[in-house]
Amino acid sequence: MDHLGTRKQETKSSGLLAVYSEEDSSVLPEEKYHRLANSTIHDLLEKLEEYGDSVEIDGFDVDYGNEVLTLKLGSLGTYVINKQTPNRQIWMSSPVSGPARFDWDQTAQAWIYRRTKGDLVKVLETELEQLCGKSINLSST
Amino acid sequence: MLRHVTNRILGQGLRLPATSAAVGGSGLPRMYHERVVDHYNHPRNVGSFDKNDEDVGTGLVGAPACGDVMKLQIKVDDDTGKIVDACFKTFGCGSAIASSSLATEWVKGKKMEEVLTIKNTEIAKHLSLPPVKLHCSMLAEDAIKAAVKDYEDKHSK
Repeated sequence: MDHLGTRKQETKSSGLLAVYSEEDSSVLPEEKYHRLANSTIHDLLEKLEEYGDSVEIDGFDVDYGNEVLTLKLGSLGTYVINKQTPNRQIWMSSPVSGPARFDWDQTAQAWIYRRTKGDLVKVLETELEQLCGKSINLSST
Repeated sequence: MLRHVTNRILGQGLRLPATSAAVGGSGLPRMYHERVVDHYNHPRNVGSFDKNDEDVGTGLVGAPACGDVMKLQIKVDDDTGKIVDACFKTFGCGSAIASSSLATEWVKGKKMEEVLTIKNTEIAKHLSLPPVKLHCSMLAEDAIKAAVKDYEDKHSK
């Protein structure tokens, strides 16, 4: 309780002038955030690499460097998925839906974009199927 | 000659501000679109209004820790609901500066309801922002909305 209390204060006094009104830094402890985010991104990386082997997309490329996952789909566009540690978020830039910022939702056990209630993994699944014409399962078993 | 210099800057990707610390580079040279370079070199409407002014709406978005903070202000004509002036101050990468600079250009002369329809996708398209910088255009859209909201909050009493 104390630990969480301290963290909340830290966040508020760290010079935040005005964070996105709906997207306050969650009280997710940093170590937990890194574990969750890294696990999600690595999982995506693996599954996307497999997906690339099974679809015929010219210019398909998955790259992971400096904690940034870049998914190129040739002329269909590029996805960029990265951690945004100060906000405890995962940020995504999609050629279909543009920019989005996902927070860890403890109840849903998923990364959720508060504005649309979109689930990161589900959004990707839907969009990729739409773009590439082949469905993909990105959800963990 | 200016074009030649601009092309050289674009080609080399040098002399331009470091990109937002939020996303690590992949080692590729960062190519800024001409329009972004233009806004960076000649930003429109840099400045500040008195946020306590009755006819001023202030939108402040972002966080220093993330590398992007935008303050966008509008001056509204109460009778017509039109934005007669706008200014901005942004801390961030070239794309963030260009996005907010462009936003101040686009809101001038428009009614508040109208500027609420300005989409980050339009800003991004106009500046040819690469995928990793779409977040900057979203921030600019949010700054516009925050400024309008602030003005309306002031006048809802």
